Amino acid sequence: MNAVDTAIHVAAKSIRLADVTKAYGKVNVIPSLDIEFRSGEFTVILGPSGCGKSTLLQMIAGLERVTNGKILFGGKEVQDLEPKQRGCAMVFQNYALYPHMTVAENMSYSLKVAGMTKPERQARVKIVAGMLGLGDYLDRKPGQLSGGQRQRVAIGRAIIREPGVLLFDEPLSNLDAQLRHDTRIELADLHRRIGATTVFVTHDQVEAMTLADRILILNKGQVEQFDTPKAIYHRPASVFVAKFIGSPPMNILPAQGDGSVLRLSDGQVVGEYGLKGDFQLGIRPENVVVEQGMSGGLAAPVRFREDLGSHSIISVDIAGTPVRIATPFGGVVPDYTRLAVTFPMKALHLFDGQTGKAIPEGFGVASKDGK
Amino acid sequence: MFLGSTMFRHRWLPIFLVAPLAVLVFLFFYAPVFQAFYWSFFLERPFGGGSEYVGWDNFARVLSDPEFWKASGRTVLFMATASSLAVLVPLILAIAADRAVRMSLPARNILVWPKGIAGASIGLVFSFVFNPFVGVLAPLNSLFPGIWNPSFDGFDAYISLIVAHVWGNIPFNFVILLAGLRAIPHTIIQAGAMDGAGPWRRILDVQLPLIMPQLFLTLVLEFTESVTSAFALIDTITKGGPGGATTLLVYKIYLDGFSSYDLSGASTQTAILMVFFILVATLQFVLLGRHINYER
Repeated sequence: MNAVDTAIHVAAKSIRLADVTKAYGKVNVIPSLDIEFRSGEFTVILGPSGCGKSTLLQMIAGLERVTNGKILFGGKEVQDLEPKQRGCAMVFQNYALYPHMTVAENMSYSLKVAGMTKPERQARVKIVAGMLGLGDYLDRKPGQLSGGQRQRVAIGRAIIREPGVLLFDEPLSNLDAQLRHDTRIELADLHRRIGATTVFVTHDQVEAMTLADRILILNKGQVEQFDTPKAIYHRPASVFVAKFIGSPPMNILPAQGDGSVLRLSDGQVVGEYGLKGDFQLGIRPENVVVEQGMSGGLAAPVRFREDLGSHSIISVDIAGTPVRIATPFGGVVPDYTRLAVTFPMKALHLFDGQTGKAIPEGFGVASKDGK
Repeated sequence: MFLGSTMFRHRWLPIFLVAPLAVLVFLFFYAPVFQAFYWSFFLERPFGGGSEYVGWDNFARVLSDPEFWKASGRTVLFMATASSLAVLVPLILAIAADRAVRMSLPARNILVWPKGIAGASIGLVFSFVFNPFVGVLAPLNSLFPGIWNPSFDGFDAYISLIVAHVWGNIPFNFVILLAGLRAIPHTIIQAGAMDGAGPWRRILDVQLPLIMPQLFLTLVLEFTESVTSAFALIDTITKGGPGGATTLLVYKIYLDGFSSYDLSGASTQTAILMVFFILVATLQFVLLGRHINYER
């Protein structure tokens, strides 16, 4: 925006988790993690409830101890340090503002604890409040603010110390859809300006896709995939990732290869394929092609149609498995009770029938050039 | 009625439900208090049978009695020490229990038990506990003869009363304060930790301000409770002695009224005590009540 923005300077630090494990009693929440968040990078940790993503964040923050392993900030071991010694700040899901303090007091509390003089604190509060558009609310208490304003105060409180590491624990989940969208854009902008190493936990794939430099997908405390949003979408490493990303998510059908063709469980032929064995076949709803007329391709009795205006989502049954088809924008599919569809080979993803991991030899454009 | 007709469709039901308690409170609290105010302007015969209106004479007599002022002084001292300790000790226990120190789970339950014990029983137990010959401090006496003897030393007797009072009032205040601490969202404490505040700093800057309503409640109740409930303890532990050292106003009123049969004097002192209570409570609301307004 203007010159004052430059007054927030952070020295971003890389975060490395070296063989980190976490157990609560006998419950092994995180079996073993070995990952690195690059300096200045915006990483989103994505996963279903109970996958260990919040625990991971709390361990980075120092609010939870690691059971085993090391956490390094910029090469320095911090796993045994208190939160205040680690130099990271956190934005909580329910904002966690101090209800008895004003906005200014909330934001400057960490500076006060650190022993900064009042004039210095006030100057810093002014800068941060200016960045977040909170200038008019400095004397209010959190109870007098709207949800979005509280969220900004929470963000202000986190960045005012110029932390090298900035942690977010599902910060947008309490906001309504419009506000969530706006705040998402502001967060991306803020990250560009501040440049702190940011770890952002969410279960919302839209937040992950739009905010992240890289997405870490966790499942039962283990890394399913850690890659750019593009790669995660176009080259999912497992059925879990494939089903988790995309709205509606990728369709998964059991299939078998006999060495020459690939068949669905009811014997219908998808296409020619050279490998033998049991597979799980994945295809994104937007890649399914609806044949004009009802002849050729795979038989797909229609169960349900959702017309969204710009396009439609059609739920069909193929070989006894529910499959969703997204029609192209502006595309009109006749209101038939049965459709004939084809799966273009270049759009197919193949996963191992047992492990669900992507097969490296899996073919098709989607799994090769990432586009 | 404050409650709308949707909740109590029958008009008389709420009154009916409240009536038993209201009757009790009226019979055993309001009626005697009004009676005391009334009698404080009359000279009553000790065994009934007529009275004489004397205006402010009773007040003049009571207020010029040095014993009244001594008892008042002791009362204020007891109120200040006993009630602040009866809030402070449970506060420390509650903070410890909230921080989940070792054994806090059993402690949380055990600490509540004294609430179920009547004041007189507590007094009786403590008169044994503090007995200089067989009590817990008896070994101290055998080491330093005469160092602890509540039946001769007024200060020791005073301490006995305060300890017994604090012990009996730990449960209620503990429960209230612990509930207050528990109601603070965990993430606010975590936010404090992220902001660099250590445990003590967080107690001071975050937890204590957030349990102000509970602290205020316990203090207000404690101020009046410490004065009134002291009666049972005094009567069972010290009988106001030694040499009147533990004769608080409530006990003096009892002695004057029911041992010396000075009904008018006792009534007058009761009236004065009531006015004093009302003033204290008002003052507390004005001074403390202002600082506890915030929205969660």
